Amino acid sequence: MRESVRRIWAVAGNTFLEAVRQKVFAVLLIFALVLLGGANYFAEFSFQEQFKFLKDLGYATISLTGLLVGLLGAAQLIPAEIERRTILTALCRPLRRWEFVVGKYLGLVSLLGLMLGIMGAVFWAVLRWKEAQLIGLEGGEAGVVQAIQAESRDPRLWQAFILIAAKLFVVCGIAVFFSTLATSTTFVVAMTLMVYLIGHLQSVAREQWLESGEKAGWWIQLFLASVALLVPDFNLYSLIDEIVAGNAVSWKSTLEVVAYSSAYVGVLLAAAAWLFEGRDL
Amino acid sequence: MSGSVSLAVGLGLILAWGAVKLPWEIRMTREQRLATMGLAGPTAVAVREKLGQGLVLAALGGFRGLAANALMLEAHGAWEQQQWVRVRSALEMATLLQPRVALFWDLASWHLAWNAAVAAEQYGGETSETRRRLEARKWVEAGRVLLERGTKAVPEKAILFQRLGDLYWQRLADYQAAAESYRVALTKRDAPAYLERFVGYALDKAGDTRGALEYFQKLRRSMGDPPDPARRPEVVEKEISRLKKKLAAAPGDQRP
Repeated sequence: MRESVRRIWAVAGNTFLEAVRQKVFAVLLIFALVLLGGANYFAEFSFQEQFKFLKDLGYATISLTGLLVGLLGAAQLIPAEIERRTILTALCRPLRRWEFVVGKYLGLVSLLGLMLGIMGAVFWAVLRWKEAQLIGLEGGEAGVVQAIQAESRDPRLWQAFILIAAKLFVVCGIAVFFSTLATSTTFVVAMTLMVYLIGHLQSVAREQWLESGEKAGWWIQLFLASVALLVPDFNLYSLIDEIVAGNAVSWKSTLEVVAYSSAYVGVLLAAAAWLFEGRDL
Repeated sequence: MSGSVSLAVGLGLILAWGAVKLPWEIRMTREQRLATMGLAGPTAVAVREKLGQGLVLAALGGFRGLAANALMLEAHGAWEQQQWVRVRSALEMATLLQPRVALFWDLASWHLAWNAAVAAEQYGGETSETRRRLEARKWVEAGRVLLERGTKAVPEKAILFQRLGDLYWQRLADYQAAAESYRVALTKRDAPAYLERFVGYALDKAGDTRGALEYFQKLRRSMGDPPDPARRPEVVEKEISRLKKKLAAAPGDQRP
């Protein structure tokens, strides 16, 4: 077991270093600029609106950047190794295929974690900067300062951040799953993106399936059931919208979504490892 | 093991997980709706039917907040150009996309019941004052209906009930309804302290002087002794003495 962990760690470390050497940090710079630009763009609105717009923009930018990094990173993982034949060098060592898959996934989520950390820090700094700017503009009245600080220092923002990370880790799991099946990076990106988009409508398909009864044809039922069973429900992560709206979201709900994500990733990695075992390289 | 067998096993594993996750997803969705809507909430199918294709597409990528903000910006632009129908349509779509954002309902009703209505009242292209007033009234009514819907979408916050009270007071001169809205607002945890006096002011404005006096007296008693200065007991005492004088000056029960 300890040997397995050591080997997984080695693959993860290698994947992480390889990914970091690529120009992903340029993307981070763009992220910071978008946020800073966005923070000033809405200056004519009330401070509540400005924070709402800024938080939405921040979380959307974090989600989109993370999605791109996850998609492109995962697409590069296994298909590119097969194409370059470097996978043969890796697998001729005492390294099991499932360890390779898990190591690759962990390397990717480490990179994603680092990027999320940096983006989160930039987001936090922009919120604090906006807070100082608004306090300067609105005057130092205690009630107003308190209201502005309640918006910018809202501890629930952590919950939203955790939910974004959990969602992106599931997307990475999906991408790793497809990368064990695919020979081209385009296939991995296209399939993962499709599942990501359908995932936001999974609850519609699920409820339509469960509520339609005998009314729908069997082929429609089959399609809806496939979507409900095979695709994750990304609407569960829309608690982020609640948090941005300033509504209370319990930690229990947040942690349950995190547990759901972890279980999903576990199943995806198990299936990916299984598929990779049977694959001819 | 052949590739096709391992593919079948892999897919079988995901399908088996699908059967496990399904009840879990259903329960979490139900709990989230209960927590955020205060009731079972509309099903995804109902929301999909209401939103139509365009907005579902916006929600597809999980960027509903951005789409709603874009609509609010569009409404803001239309407001600057005094294009009230565009303002209304953009605002209604924004509130449909993010019904739990109290700020959207608040802004939307303000645009309709105040800005659009005042613009209709002062519209130079219509010579008949009656028609202008009727048109203005329609906008006020649209704002009221929107706020009523908002109070159902975000029932746990005081702000929309307070705004509804303001609308009844300032735009419809229905002070009894205003008092009732302020009363409901006061039952919410985040109601501002000053709002407790508004019920009395509205009752007095409605002509229910005795009701207003009884309300303020009850309010003063609820403050205890010594009272919390943040609740402004001196203002309440001043109101009690003013209402007493008013009742003494006008004999008979001052109830509408």
